[in-house]
Amino acid sequence: MNEWCKKTPLEWQALLHKELKVCAHEKQQHQGWLFTVDPVSANIVLVSFEPDGKASIVTVMGHAVETVEVLNEGSDAISNRLVSLFMPVAPQKHSK
Amino acid sequence: ISGRSAKPPLEKPGERRVAEMKKLYGEDAAKIQGMETAMQLTFDRNCDKKQPKYWPVIPLKL
Amino acid sequence: SERYLALCPTTISSSDSAVDSATFVEEQKARTVLRERYIRSLLAMVKKDVHFTMYERVKVNAVFGASDIDILNFQVSDLQTPLGVQKEALIRCPDIISYSFSIDAGLKD
Repeated sequence: MNEWCKKTPLEWQALLHKELKVCAHEKQQHQGWLFTVDPVSANIVLVSFEPDGKASIVTVMGHAVETVEVLNEGSDAISNRLVSLFMPVAPQKHSK
Repeated sequence: ISGRSAKPPLEKPGERRVAEMKKLYGEDAAKIQGMETAMQLTFDRNCDKKQPKYWPVIPLKL
Repeated sequence: SERYLALCPTTISSSDSAVDSATFVEEQKARTVLRERYIRSLLAMVKKDVHFTMYERVKVNAVFGASDIDILNFQVSDLQTPLGVQKEALIRCPDIISYSFSIDAGLKD
């Protein structure tokens, strides 16, 4: 099991909504805003917003992760966009 | 303690899963378990109906 | 108990559980947020065309159907293999390095 899979849910949660660069097996590199890390598989879900109004979602399997680097701390605007992308209604918990 | 052999669980599997979920997810365990159960049911139903075969036949990564 | 330790390997393991109970609840909350979001990301992928990058430089596309709860198998349809289309298939998650799909981001404020 790699280092990434051994992290705690609190460590993963601290990275939510940040822009990450993830290096994985077979020299793969992915970049995007962190929507979530599955606490079961350690899979990393990254989102990129494309100029054409689409969002591209890349999930890197936890078992294949080599390094994770924070590129950008993110913002409320980014976290709202990420949440509204997947959630049927905006959660009340984090508003203000 | 470590030298003793494991005893069979006294509780039923369903109860065990509820207890495990409670430990992992706390007060929202029922919500997560509901979402997981729905997902697994869809998976099982699709597999029954469509009879998918593994691809590739031999795992790429052992 | 032994069983409790087996279920909660991360935070509690070697320390005094009374001291760490607040952290433990925080960890449960974090796990809930993360897991719910991951399941929603899988639901968003249903019926979408997904690109899978697998080991040995294998790349395939398929329409996503469902995952088992342990994230070990993905059930897919219309899998485009190098040797043709397989109508119904199961992909082993340990064979995958990454997968991607795209959705409408919407423009709501």
